[in-house]
Amino acid sequence: MTTKYYKFLPIVTAAALCAPSLMAAEEADSDSDNQVQLAYRVADRGDMLGGVEVLDFAKLMEVNYINDINNGTISGYVSGFNGNSLWGQDGDNDGFLVLIDGVVRDMNNIISTEVENITFMKGAAATVLYGARASKGVIYITTKRGKDAPLSVNVRANTGWHVAKSFPEYLGSAEYMALYNQALINDGKDPIYSQQDLYNYSSGKNPYRYPNIDMYSSDYVGRAYNRTDVSAEISGGNERARFYTNVNYFRHGDYLKVGEGKKNYTDRFSVRGNIDVDITEWISAYVNTSATFYGSRSANSENSYWANATTLRPNRINPLIPVSLINPEATSALEQIGATANIFNGYFLGGTQQDKTNVFADYYAKGYSKFTSRQFQFDTGINVDLGMVTPGLTFNTKYAVDYATSYNTSYTNSYATFVPVWGEFNGTDDITAVTIEGKDEHSGVQNISNSASRQTMYWSGQFDYARQFNDVHNFHALVVGAGWQRTRAGQYHKTSSVNIGFEVDYNYARRYYVDLALTGVHSSKLAPGHRQGWSPTATIGWNIANEAFLADNDAVNTLMLSASAGLLNQDQDIQDYYMYSANYTEGGWYEWAIGGGSAAYPKRGPNEGLTFVKIKQYTVGLRGELFNRLLDFNAMYFNYKTTGLLGSTSTKFPSYFSTYYPEASFVPYTNMNDNRRSGFDFGVNVKKDFGDFAFKFGVTGTYYDTKALKRDEVWENDYQYREGKPIDAIWGYRADGFFQTDEEAAAWDQSALGGGTLKAGDLKYRDLNGDGKVDTNDQEYLGKGGWYGSPFFMGVNLQLSWKGFTLFVHGLGSFGGHGLLNDNSYYKMVGENKYTAAAREAWTQETAATATLPRLTTGNGANNYVASDFWMYSTDRFDIDKIQLTYDFPKTLFHGPVIHGLQLYISADDLVTFGKNREILERNVGSAPQSRFYNIGAQVTF
Amino acid sequence: MKKLIKYIAVASIVMGFTACDDLFDPAIENIKDENSIDSESNYADQILRSAYILMPYPGDPENDVATDDAVSNDINNDYRTIAGGAWTSQTGVSVNNWRDRNASIQYCNLLLEHIDNVMFATNEAINEMFYDRLKGEAYGLRALNMYYLLQNYAGKNSAGELLGVPIWNHSFSATSDLNVSRDSFKACLEQLLSDADAAIELLPKDYADISDAQVPAKYKSKGVSAAQYNRVNGTNTALRISGRIVEAIAAQAALLAASPAFSDQSGVTWADAATRSANLLKQIGGVAGMAPTGHLWYTAEEIGNDPAKADYHAEIIWRGNNETNCSREENNFPPSLYGKGRVNPTQNLVDAFPMLNGYPISNAKSNYDSKNPYEGRDPRLQAYIVVNGSTLGVNNDVINTTADSDNKDGIDKESGISTRTGYYLRKLLRSDVNPNSTSKVEKPHYATRIRYTEIFLAYAEAANEAWGPKSDNGNGFSAYDVIKAIRNRAGITDTSYLDECAASKESMRELIRNERRIELCFENKRFWDLRRWNANLNETARGMKISGNSYDAVDVEKRDFRDYMIYGPLPYSDVLKFSNLEQNAGW
Repeated sequence: MTTKYYKFLPIVTAAALCAPSLMAAEEADSDSDNQVQLAYRVADRGDMLGGVEVLDFAKLMEVNYINDINNGTISGYVSGFNGNSLWGQDGDNDGFLVLIDGVVRDMNNIISTEVENITFMKGAAATVLYGARASKGVIYITTKRGKDAPLSVNVRANTGWHVAKSFPEYLGSAEYMALYNQALINDGKDPIYSQQDLYNYSSGKNPYRYPNIDMYSSDYVGRAYNRTDVSAEISGGNERARFYTNVNYFRHGDYLKVGEGKKNYTDRFSVRGNIDVDITEWISAYVNTSATFYGSRSANSENSYWANATTLRPNRINPLIPVSLINPEATSALEQIGATANIFNGYFLGGTQQDKTNVFADYYAKGYSKFTSRQFQFDTGINVDLGMVTPGLTFNTKYAVDYATSYNTSYTNSYATFVPVWGEFNGTDDITAVTIEGKDEHSGVQNISNSASRQTMYWSGQFDYARQFNDVHNFHALVVGAGWQRTRAGQYHKTSSVNIGFEVDYNYARRYYVDLALTGVHSSKLAPGHRQGWSPTATIGWNIANEAFLADNDAVNTLMLSASAGLLNQDQDIQDYYMYSANYTEGGWYEWAIGGGSAAYPKRGPNEGLTFVKIKQYTVGLRGELFNRLLDFNAMYFNYKTTGLLGSTSTKFPSYFSTYYPEASFVPYTNMNDNRRSGFDFGVNVKKDFGDFAFKFGVTGTYYDTKALKRDEVWENDYQYREGKPIDAIWGYRADGFFQTDEEAAAWDQSALGGGTLKAGDLKYRDLNGDGKVDTNDQEYLGKGGWYGSPFFMGVNLQLSWKGFTLFVHGLGSFGGHGLLNDNSYYKMVGENKYTAAAREAWTQETAATATLPRLTTGNGANNYVASDFWMYSTDRFDIDKIQLTYDFPKTLFHGPVIHGLQLYISADDLVTFGKNREILERNVGSAPQSRFYNIGAQVTF
Repeated sequence: MKKLIKYIAVASIVMGFTACDDLFDPAIENIKDENSIDSESNYADQILRSAYILMPYPGDPENDVATDDAVSNDINNDYRTIAGGAWTSQTGVSVNNWRDRNASIQYCNLLLEHIDNVMFATNEAINEMFYDRLKGEAYGLRALNMYYLLQNYAGKNSAGELLGVPIWNHSFSATSDLNVSRDSFKACLEQLLSDADAAIELLPKDYADISDAQVPAKYKSKGVSAAQYNRVNGTNTALRISGRIVEAIAAQAALLAASPAFSDQSGVTWADAATRSANLLKQIGGVAGMAPTGHLWYTAEEIGNDPAKADYHAEIIWRGNNETNCSREENNFPPSLYGKGRVNPTQNLVDAFPMLNGYPISNAKSNYDSKNPYEGRDPRLQAYIVVNGSTLGVNNDVINTTADSDNKDGIDKESGISTRTGYYLRKLLRSDVNPNSTSKVEKPHYATRIRYTEIFLAYAEAANEAWGPKSDNGNGFSAYDVIKAIRNRAGITDTSYLDECAASKESMRELIRNERRIELCFENKRFWDLRRWNANLNETARGMKISGNSYDAVDVEKRDFRDYMIYGPLPYSDVLKFSNLEQNAGW
């Protein structure tokens, strides 16, 4: 518990505060409006030195109703956040830190109506005080608070429909079977489906005997589902006490129309109360509480309906067969069917020996599960004005404890399916017998599974000292000690962060700024003697607009030039405790006559010298407001180097230093890999009123580039080195089109890829190193994956107002990223995979000139489906992410004391995507279809 | 101010972090390091168990599908892929033995380096017995791992030198010199045999409870009682490596070294190999001790429903533990019996089974009827392979593998579950198992590690080469005697063809190799047998397509091995990392 400098926190604090208190000074004045949340303090927007952006979320909600807070819905409004990361940082080990009211919490457990604003802390100088788990940026969400104002009640209700954008197109039975025959012919085998088979399946005369199941048929999958929410906010207060409460409920359904799937839903109910109390003139306190109840119901199935839709071929089974098709004289069949409880509207469950179960039967007969999650959050703080000790000195402390629990309850049944034996009666097919697969079992027992619980504790204490001396010297200092810890049920180790921070910021007449911060971080993940590190940052700024020569100039209202440098020590990317130790552990099992026992082996080689991952960052920025604040802009260049990321130094050790079972290794972890990320972000906003008409227009953008500076690697060829290439590099072969003839394929040595005997219509790759054969060494850098957000990301916001009407449009653009389709099941038609419309594009002798995909095969396709530029596509896109038309009824309409305001709006989310590969980007394979969301809503203020 | 300081102190202690594991110091784990071996006897044994876990005995057919004996119906099977031409030094299967054999040796070395500091018992004599046994096990396992390393990685470099692998006779760590070169095959084999001999010296022949009279002299002189001896070396220790097992491993290794692919530089002769086998076989009385049901040891009748944990079938020298399951049957039964039909024996192998009169089907005297190909054959054909019309499963269902079959058992009916050759596996499977998930029947199975038949065949092969078909060189049984007994056991009592073969070493060699192929099929032997014999690796795997009354042998899978693949490749990444590690020629 005790570690050197934490013990001395109070003493250090006291000492730091003594010196300035001796100076004669006045208390610094602060303007409570227009203040922004920074790390452990709020500051005037005008004094911001960059690396921080603030989204005034409550204000945005007045014209743009966002129903769910997530990375996607809060992107594009401010510069530097690309919907995935802040400045291109990776998302490893939780990525950026999310703080809600200063406490580490989940972004998905906050409802949009309770949010006041969101601060995006990008730069090292902005996040340093948060310690060793905040080095990838911080998103700080501030909830609403009560004001010294009469009781106000605000009720908002919305209802809307998620409408599917696109479904993957799978082939019907007859076409699948014909193309599967083609695949067999391609492989030099005999077709297995006869002309009669193809006729039977294509004629549709008996879909029960010759199934043709389209899993995206409107019989099974609806085109839209509803989402409805309502929230009520009540706030008010007086000079002594203020409160804000929010009650919210939403519920949405599902696309599915099959069996229990019809009843699938997700809902959430939450209550929040934020209370501020001034206890005395110099002591104030607050308490925030929030409780969330989250539930969802889903039909039981081993895999989701959507995952099944990628594999269940159309000709395999008919899941539901009319009992009436059974020949009345087939008494044994009727008896067997009569014994099952699973008859649905006169249909029994069909199957085969190979498909004893299927997702449809699961949805009808396997029961359902309910997921329940509850979260309770509590935080409180006390602010003490220590003006009587020394003017300008304050103390505050904050304590929070959050609980989250979740579990699944389910009734899981098993069921029998029946394999029909078909005969003919009076010229029509009928069922003469059935064989039974599986058995009906209703356990009647409620299973509880996936129980999880989590507890988060947070504490911080800080002294602030803020004074203005001689009207021009603005001085602020703070000392903060903070720590938090998260415990999860079933996990021995906790996620922890503890640190002490000092910050001094000073400006001379709001012209020249200096901000110095120093954080002492502590990590119990490192070996004794290596557990402490100091993270310093320094920022300087110059607001040229406040210079005398520009002071009276209306054209330049703010022009802040700033630069910062910092070094952060982080342990976020040290995944485990004791990674410095060999840690011989027990595991595995060897059994001999006496009964056997576990084995012992090391998890890794020892390296006591393991230390923090370091981030060295510098930034240069410019921020301004021009023409009487008609236009504001910001731009920042950033460059940071992450050094000492952990790696197992595989190039130094033979492969036998590590085994899979037992999961042992003699290889130590070292601070091995270095990365650089650099780029710039910018934002421009213009606003102007013309009488009844007003417009606002804004553009934000973020560009970043990455480079692997140091890697532990040995390769045979220069082009294989990861060092010097982007971190999100896609590697693969260079395709040279299809082999035109079998002879060409036979002459080209590409067998190492595992495709067996290659033929015309298989992909040919370049022999990059010219060694006469294509093997894994012939892969090179193909392009950027954009894993941390597209290399260039932009947002466009347009707001037009006329009288009570407001039109809001939000656009998002992503450019420079790439994806691969070789593992996308929509394109991978090999073996027994399900065929999609893409199969029509596959190479055949006849279509050799125009084919766009390799030949179909019943083999594993190993040659054709490796990563190569053939499968690479650009993920460039521009989206009209949101359009909302809002009408605010004129205030003059509401004379009475009851209603004070009324707003109606209609909106569309995710409306249009532009991009060369729009079809690929909009098509979800294996998961629920993407949707457009059309919403109508109203807001009433009482 | 004082109050405030106190407040912070109290707050930070009371509020939340009273249990502050992981915050300032990591929550305590019971962390051990290498030196902990010295102080805990169970822990020392656990180190050795890691060496056991890493042993190379899969128990199910794996690399057989990359030979002319079988194909896999799994399109993603690794061995199917390498047989199709994809074998490189970067392929996963090139790494597995390299990694696991060397790692297993590492644990043996760790134990050997620490064991003298460990106290297993306060009684000095008992303690010494533990030392003897655990050291013996470590040496034995080291020999075992070296055998598999040599089989997989020994080979000739471009200068024609026959190289083995780097010998690790001490443990390695991150600070060791790891850029080590390969020792010669000869040196590796010498290390192997000296480890084996050390183990044989230290270990009891078998682990079995004994009476006071039977306590070995070296322990008896120290006053060890039977109870004390049994504590260390009794029945409870069975299934761990024993002296007899190490003798078998040494015999296997000697056969490898005497084989054509290695004999020019191994320093081991056929006579050496034959003697190693003979010495082991003589302990069971030679041919007379051959288990009468040794070729059917895996069947329900032989294993039973509740085999004793420590019991060995008379056929078995070493086996793994019993496990009651149905996974082998789930993988290999035909689809009508709820299996995946994975390993499909080839026509090539079927053709290798002689007729009941002992003549190969290609011989005019065999009376082979190609219209009734499964009639009048060596009984082992039906015992090991499910052919069209065979019965299998708990209900003795007739399996129809023809192209006309009305279920998925027919050849090529459905990729991934149906046979590709017209045959299904029967060997190693139990007919009393039912993998149907709704009426599942599971039965005991074990991985057979070494059995006497292999040693008999090793003897026959080496003795024939060294001394000719009919000379016993004083061992009491000749190659001829062994083959005669094996064929007789299988039901081939007519020795006419055997007698014809025994006329020359060459024809006898072919017969012995064919018997070995049959007896040891699907036991992961042939892949490496073909290589040590310098035999043809590229026999196209064929199947039998039956339609109506027509029997058509069809090509199923081409084999695409290059000449240099007689020797396996060292893992590419290690050769790239270490300049002193030389690759075998061609890779």
